[in-house]
Amino acid sequence: MTLALRQTGALARRSVTGTLRTPQALVPALFFPLVLMAIFTASFGNAPGNIPGFPPVRGFLDFALAGAIVQGILIGGTSAGAAFALDIEGGFFDRLVASPVSRMAILFGRLGGGVTLAMAQTVLFVTVGVVFGARVEGGVAGVLILLLLAALMAVAVSGLGIILALRTGSAEAVQGTFPLFFVLLFFSSAFFPRETMTGWFRVVADVNPISYLVEAMRDLVIVGIDPRPTLIGLGVVLALATASVAACWWAFRRRLAATA
Amino acid sequence: MATSSHPAVLAGGRRLSLDRLRHAIEVSGGLAWRSLILVRRMPSVFLPSLVMPLFILVATSGAFRGIGLLPAFGGASYLAFTIPLALVMGAGFAGINAGMTLARDIEGGFVDRLIVSPAPRITLIAGPLVAAGLRSLFTTTVVLIAGLIGGVGLPGGVDTIALYLLAIAFSAASACWAMGVALRTRTIQAAPLMQVVVFLAVFTSVAYAPRDVLTGWLATVADLNPVTYLLEASRAAELTGLGWAELWPALVALSALLIVLGTWALTGLATLGRR
Repeated sequence: MTLALRQTGALARRSVTGTLRTPQALVPALFFPLVLMAIFTASFGNAPGNIPGFPPVRGFLDFALAGAIVQGILIGGTSAGAAFALDIEGGFFDRLVASPVSRMAILFGRLGGGVTLAMAQTVLFVTVGVVFGARVEGGVAGVLILLLLAALMAVAVSGLGIILALRTGSAEAVQGTFPLFFVLLFFSSAFFPRETMTGWFRVVADVNPISYLVEAMRDLVIVGIDPRPTLIGLGVVLALATASVAACWWAFRRRLAATA
Repeated sequence: MATSSHPAVLAGGRRLSLDRLRHAIEVSGGLAWRSLILVRRMPSVFLPSLVMPLFILVATSGAFRGIGLLPAFGGASYLAFTIPLALVMGAGFAGINAGMTLARDIEGGFVDRLIVSPAPRITLIAGPLVAAGLRSLFTTTVVLIAGLIGGVGLPGGVDTIALYLLAIAFSAASACWAMGVALRTRTIQAAPLMQVVVFLAVFTSVAYAPRDVLTGWLATVADLNPVTYLLEASRAAELTGLGWAELWPALVALSALLIVLGTWALTGLATLGRR
């Protein structure tokens, strides 16, 4: 067991180092969310207090912070899946499978790497937000819950990327799913409150799980620790993460059975 | 005695330059056609440039509908307000496509073969430029139809023509930018650079809200961004009718963009053949 944990740690470290050494994987996950957050904050700065249905908030930056965090995790998760697919394409995965390394370590190492990066990213985004005037009303406890939500979200999204990598074995195919994540993000309350949406768009945002995760994170920033939205967000992301890990394990076993 | 002063030679020289011009136009037309049939043969290359503006139209008008309730929007529907943004993005993508196709042609050796042929070099830029303009006609039509489906009627005849012309001009500017990058980097891997710059140029303008609503750094950047004036003219055509007050800043901004980015593409063309 200790050996499996050590192997998981080593593979997670390899995953983090690999991402840090690949700027084309790291830059989009940091650059795009921060740039969009800056653009939205400056474009919609007059929205709070002037639009019916907009929640009371100190400024739009506080409101936008959670959306940027989730966007960063979605991009990072796709990169984690693509990196796993590159391991398959390059033969590293086969060498790992042929070695006495624990099967669990192969999967959880990559997932651990994704979680570590997502948490570091969240700390960075919160720091940037605070430097530019945002305030996390939930305080230190709020930031810790934010990190927990980010970690679980990273498990769900990285897991999805890994499933695609295991099924297709192609990094290009995994990267090709990126627009789908973008659609999920925009058709949610990631960037604007659901209360201001109407018609079919509102219905889609209502059934989109991303809405509940972002709202749980946002509440920690703009309101403080409020059990209801936090627990709803936690429940949604926990369900997603569990389903993702289970599907990941199933896809992993299938690939092993197919190559055996 | 200078030979060029002889009337017969002068006439011959004119005929020669006319022949060269006709030849250049024929080759540019051929290259533009080649670029256009790629749309049918490689839809994966063209599809994103069609899907993205539609996605932007639907996602932006749906997600940010609330911002349109501010008095600065004058009660206009946010979908109608977003149509010019989608048109500009469609035109931008049509231009980026020109750069990506050129980069692929450089990597694949097609450009090398063209350089050693008697075809004038300028056709390497002129052909994709024409194709980008024609593609923008297509994306503009699709976005306007999507607007119609969403309940936004077409503006008057002259204003609709203005929307098309503004989109063509922006597709040409984007194509010059993307081809300049392709000619310097000579790899399709530079595609993200082509895209990111056009994205940033569009979204650091009045993409989501009019200038009166913008705050902080964006209020200053949008004032300096030529895309702001293009979008404002396009919005005037869509919402109220394009007047001289919106038209002349757009013409100045587009002329400046075309001169600067045209020079960028031409100087890139001059580097071809050098390693």
